Amino acid sequence: MNELFRRLRYLLNRRRFDQELAQDMDFHREMAAREGRQNFGNPLRLREEARDAWGWTWIDALFQDFRYAARTLRKSPGFTLVAILLLALGIGVNVAAFGFFNLMVLRPLPVRQPETILHFERRAPGNFADNFPYSEVRFYQAHSRSLSAVLALNFDSLVMEGEEKPLHAHFVTANFFSELGGGPALGRVLDPVRDEVLEEELVAVLDHRFWERHFAADPSVIGRAIRLNGKPVTVIGVAGRKFSGLGLDPPDLWLPISQCAFFSKRKQAQEDFSGDGMQVQMWGRLQPGLRPRVAEQELSSLAKELHAQHPNDTWKDESLLSAHGGRAVTVRSEMYPFLGMAGALCVLILVVACSNLGGLLLARGVTREREIAIRVAVGAGRGRLIRQLLTESLVLACLGLAAGMALGSIVLRLLIAWTNLPEWLSAWPDWRVTAFAAGIGLVAAMLFGLTPSLEISKQRHRASLLRKLLIGAQVAASCMLLIAAGLLVRALNHAIYTNPGFEYRQIISLDPRFRGYTPDQARSYFAALRDRLRNLPGVESVALASNPPLGNRWTVITTEIGDRTVDVHINHVDPSFFQTMNIPLLRGRNLARGDTRAIIVSESLARRQWPAVDPVGKPFRMGTDNYMVVGVSGSARLVSPEDSDAVEIYQLADADLSPMVVMVRTSAPPEGMLRPVSAATKAIDPLLFPDVQLMKDSFHAKLRLSEYAALAASVPGVIALLIACLGILGLVSFAVSERTREIGIRMALGAKPSHVLAFVIRQFSFPIAAGLVVGMAGAAALSQVLRRVLYGISNLDPIAYLAALGVFAVAVTLAASLPAGRALGIDPARALRHE
Amino acid sequence: MAKGKTEVLQGTLDLMILKTLHALGPMHGYGIARRIEQLSQEVLVLNEGTVYTSLVRLQQQGSIASGWGVSENNRKARFYSITKRGLKQLDRETENWERISGVIGRVLRLESEE
Repeated sequence: MNELFRRLRYLLNRRRFDQELAQDMDFHREMAAREGRQNFGNPLRLREEARDAWGWTWIDALFQDFRYAARTLRKSPGFTLVAILLLALGIGVNVAAFGFFNLMVLRPLPVRQPETILHFERRAPGNFADNFPYSEVRFYQAHSRSLSAVLALNFDSLVMEGEEKPLHAHFVTANFFSELGGGPALGRVLDPVRDEVLEEELVAVLDHRFWERHFAADPSVIGRAIRLNGKPVTVIGVAGRKFSGLGLDPPDLWLPISQCAFFSKRKQAQEDFSGDGMQVQMWGRLQPGLRPRVAEQELSSLAKELHAQHPNDTWKDESLLSAHGGRAVTVRSEMYPFLGMAGALCVLILVVACSNLGGLLLARGVTREREIAIRVAVGAGRGRLIRQLLTESLVLACLGLAAGMALGSIVLRLLIAWTNLPEWLSAWPDWRVTAFAAGIGLVAAMLFGLTPSLEISKQRHRASLLRKLLIGAQVAASCMLLIAAGLLVRALNHAIYTNPGFEYRQIISLDPRFRGYTPDQARSYFAALRDRLRNLPGVESVALASNPPLGNRWTVITTEIGDRTVDVHINHVDPSFFQTMNIPLLRGRNLARGDTRAIIVSESLARRQWPAVDPVGKPFRMGTDNYMVVGVSGSARLVSPEDSDAVEIYQLADADLSPMVVMVRTSAPPEGMLRPVSAATKAIDPLLFPDVQLMKDSFHAKLRLSEYAALAASVPGVIALLIACLGILGLVSFAVSERTREIGIRMALGAKPSHVLAFVIRQFSFPIAAGLVVGMAGAAALSQVLRRVLYGISNLDPIAYLAALGVFAVAVTLAASLPAGRALGIDPARALRHE
Repeated sequence: MAKGKTEVLQGTLDLMILKTLHALGPMHGYGIARRIEQLSQEVLVLNEGTVYTSLVRLQQQGSIASGWGVSENNRKARFYSITKRGLKQLDRETENWERISGVIGRVLRLESEE
């Protein structure tokens, strides 16, 4: 310990110690000289040895190396810039990807104590839901002791007067803002005491961005009444700018859940424990020191009590499961392979960039032969040389790291803005991202710096094996990225252009959102609407369905067909459905009035259930009821255009038409028909606020994830290809300049141009070919993970592979042919004099 | 200068310096080098500068301490003295050395008996 202090003291007072020692030695030599002795030895060398004994020479050496490295890099600015650019790309991509992952998954939401918030789901044998009847939530709130607070949320669309598009509203329990710690930017937010009980006045809290956009940040909106669904609502405040709620998608406004009934009759029954009552999402805050399992168990036993009290309305054997509620996105276990693959793709880019840089360093090492030879002659050991070269790589890595972090943060910022994510997500790197970036930088430095240093210090500058390996690695990595991109693009194309089995481009869907209508009223409304719509110019056909295609509602029953469980989508429709949606009737007849037990099955279901037999007239069992097949329709992927496994069953609509949605097919472009259609509904009942949408918007929304994925894979693929081509170009031209003399001699002796070309390219053909093979194999393995998203195409889709290979081959040929062409233009006479 | 110049191992030089300081009290670098030569009866003639490497090392280990003093001819010089820790090291190393030289001596005598 004391020794450490002494050493540190020396470190801080180095110059003084050195001087004192020099003085001592001088004194000694004077005395010795006076007595005629001259065997002191070389004072300089002795001082060096003394300095070694003090033990800090390695720091000196390090600083020396750093300064030297900086000087060398400054002297070749071209190389340094290229190197930093390569590193910035490789590291930047990784930083952006990890930063995104960090924001979505790792970083907690900006709420109070996010680690104690749990999100609940409920399960029972044969049933699964992530929402609860509100009365059930109130029961838990009253009786739970393991949760200090319970939050509930219900979302809905409300129509504001003067706005064409409906607003997204969240109805939340009154303790929402106080539990999450979100203070108001203006006015007040929901207060757990005041807003728990239903008061005279309807109130709402505006979202900050909504307030900026719609009210131009006008502070006088507080206290003003706005009309929502025809009712006057007082704006009591504006939420803070950085308030996130409990998810990624903040609404336009928040309202107390106790007022939900005023806006939508369908969700009224707050006392209803069954599935007809208001459904909400449930969160809870754990009491301090408890574990989630305790809360789950307590709530499950409370569920049992509840079931005993209301056996007909609640599920039997209901158990509750919790998930971490304090993060933006919870990763389910089925997402792990995708995350792994995305990570692998990013690492591949880093590999490409680093191998490229390694190749550059190797090439540069050859030009420094003389310098290295001098160093060795003056006495540098191999270890010292390696240390110096590694320091250069470290300096490059630091610069590249800084550039990469800047680039990554910029890309992340653009990504956040482009995907319209809320404001509390900041692209600024936090400690996790910084640590990750530093780690990546170190790995990169090792990757591109270590092996070239080892090679160069050996002074065996031929180093051809390493160079070939580096090229092979780059080719393989780029190839894998391109193939992955190709597969995703093909899948996207397939999804967009394959006929999903029904017409969606010319359809408008209209959800009347009845409030308090009796079935008779609903029926007469629809009849009147039908008449009006049919008389509108540009409308071809009108139909009704319970689950609009590409909507967010679906009814699924799981049934056994043969030995497989199949999810069957059920839809209650009126007879004009098939004609309106352009779904062909392949066999049998359409549904007709009075068909209570008749069903129409899709062709995909018919194929599975009754292979090679005509299904018309056959019985089919659903649940406890028996039905008879009267017709077969073409398969239509009504829920998701990417789901090729879908089977459908159509039944005649029930007597109660209240939940139905209207489908309108137009001959004119549907955008222009939105207003006339809305006007038609207003003419019948001006108090209704129906939800009118273009079906092709829903179609594109469903595909958006695939679009993002294809884009996310194509951009790195192209970048990697560019980098690899640059690398190949550099190395080939370097090989040419290395062997200029040899080429000149050969040409002087009469070699044909093709021979010269072959000679130059030959040394690279094997690594490139090997790289391609490895790349393809790697891509085939990686794409196993992608299989679930590659709807409709196999993960070994030949077109994608061939396309990727084709692009690669063209690019590489171009890259190699430029310097090779230069080789042909070498003048033999000059070449012979080339140094 | 004298015949039979012997190379001295660095470790044993440390030992000799400690012994010198212990036996003859604090002195400066030149004095130490002189005394070692004297004690070895002129058999040991070393490059006196090598003493300084040992002195620095011993200082780092904490076996000797240094301070400013005035030399015989009224010059300011650095004087070294042995510390408690140095004494302990001296005892330990002396014991080591005597043990090793005893063993080697025995081995050598064994050979000559053959």
